[in-house]
Amino acid sequence: MSEKQRVRGRILPREKGAAPLDVVIAVMAFLAALALGASMLADRQAESWREGLAGRLTVQILQPEHPTSSRNLNTETEAALQILRGTRGILTVTPMPDADAAKLVAPWLGADAMVKDLPLPRLIDASIVPGEHVDFAQLTARLQTVAPDSNVDDHTRWISRLQTLANTIIYAAYTILALIAVATAAAVSFATRAGLEAHHDIVALLHQMGAHSGFIARAFEWHYLLSTLAASAVGAGLAGIAFLAAGGLEFAGVEPVPFLPPLGLNPQELVWLLAVPLASAAIAWATARLSVLAVLREIY
Amino acid sequence: MIRFENVGMRYGPGPEVLRDVTFQLEPGTFTFLTGPSGAGKSTLLKLMYLAEAPSRGLITLFGTDLATARRSAFPALRRRIGVVFQDFRLLPHLSAFDNVALPLRLAGRKTDDYTRDVEELLGWVGLGDRMNAKPPTLSGGEQQRVAIARAVVGQPDLLLADEPTGNVDPEIAQRLIRLFGELNRLGTTVLIATHDRGLIERSRSREMRLVDGRLVELRRG
Repeated sequence: MSEKQRVRGRILPREKGAAPLDVVIAVMAFLAALALGASMLADRQAESWREGLAGRLTVQILQPEHPTSSRNLNTETEAALQILRGTRGILTVTPMPDADAAKLVAPWLGADAMVKDLPLPRLIDASIVPGEHVDFAQLTARLQTVAPDSNVDDHTRWISRLQTLANTIIYAAYTILALIAVATAAAVSFATRAGLEAHHDIVALLHQMGAHSGFIARAFEWHYLLSTLAASAVGAGLAGIAFLAAGGLEFAGVEPVPFLPPLGLNPQELVWLLAVPLASAAIAWATARLSVLAVLREIY
Repeated sequence: MIRFENVGMRYGPGPEVLRDVTFQLEPGTFTFLTGPSGAGKSTLLKLMYLAEAPSRGLITLFGTDLATARRSAFPALRRRIGVVFQDFRLLPHLSAFDNVALPLRLAGRKTDDYTRDVEELLGWVGLGDRMNAKPPTLSGGEQQRVAIARAVVGQPDLLLADEPTGNVDPEIAQRLIRLFGELNRLGTTVLIATHDRGLIERSRSREMRLVDGRLVELRRG
């Protein structure tokens, strides 16, 4: 045997019975990483919904009941456009052409010539400078002085509903994440304690030989930190591969499920999955340390 | 070095295993502790190597009163004591070499620093060719010699041995006793608990005898 093998054998044996516990830790880490990834997907989706609707407003101008040459749909629309363009914080103002408005109602009313005779309202789409605040109440009041039958829709109702939906999804994902994190912590802690139980004789002997509590605790801390890190890295790594594969499917042109966000994680999000093995290793470290110190306190 | 005054010991609510034990070990002395099985020899040793606390009485170790000493001072006291346990207590996953080197590692010594000492000592106890063997592959006698080498490697101030020659043939036993004698000449206080009358007769050392938990001085060395 070489000199290197002879000296500095590990104070703790690499236990053979630990494999099932390592598997449990790897599986829990896999589930925790999936939950973490899912919560990031939900968060990202909610953000994209918010961004899609926020920052836009739609002005609808109805046909006056008694149009005159000076007060009709065209003059009111023109006046509204002037006001919008002159409003601070409005970026773009685009009146919707009549043809497009007709298309919107076509699914219900058909595309007959008759539809052209209907008093369809005019729609104006406006976008807001990002970060700029527009006082909608004041804007509505000003628009109504030139077009009494107008109204402004800032999509608040939709946004708040989507926000509620997105928050529900995010909180559900966080709850699942928290539950799995607790279960993972319990599994890691249990595995560490079970290992310590098996090594009670070694702890007692080292103590008897005059090893400081810190020395003994360190031997155990490193042992469990490294084995837990390895097992949970395998689990989180498999979850990362699963997310990459999901992203790959979309990239390969597989139809995404309607209403579901894309399931792939981007590189910045994948990096967050590293938190799972790191947190697991930290839990194992702390459990091992506290358990060893508790055992040593019981020995004279 | 060590002083026991009216020390009594009982495990839980059981009867007293040791009663009014009073004695003193001067530095550099060699003492045999004898007595029938169950007389309390192992318990007395446990009190001396700080594995148990006495139920009553006073123990002073290296000038430290154990009753008033802080627990944080115990590791340093324990490192000054070499113990040969009756059941050896070797770490089964470590080689003979690593088992013997353990006290030196705990004392913070570097591998390069102690490799030769450990190899020499293993040669002395007749295990020069079994350095890399793990305890489960060693015979009872070989394990005992590893345990002895581990106890003496750090040249402790106090050496306590519980039946250290129980599993070896008379020739090896004599050799081990010579090893203890050598250590004793270098200044270590030695106390050996044994049944081996022959061993005691051949030596002119002090003998203390435990009978029913009471200590009787048989011979002053």
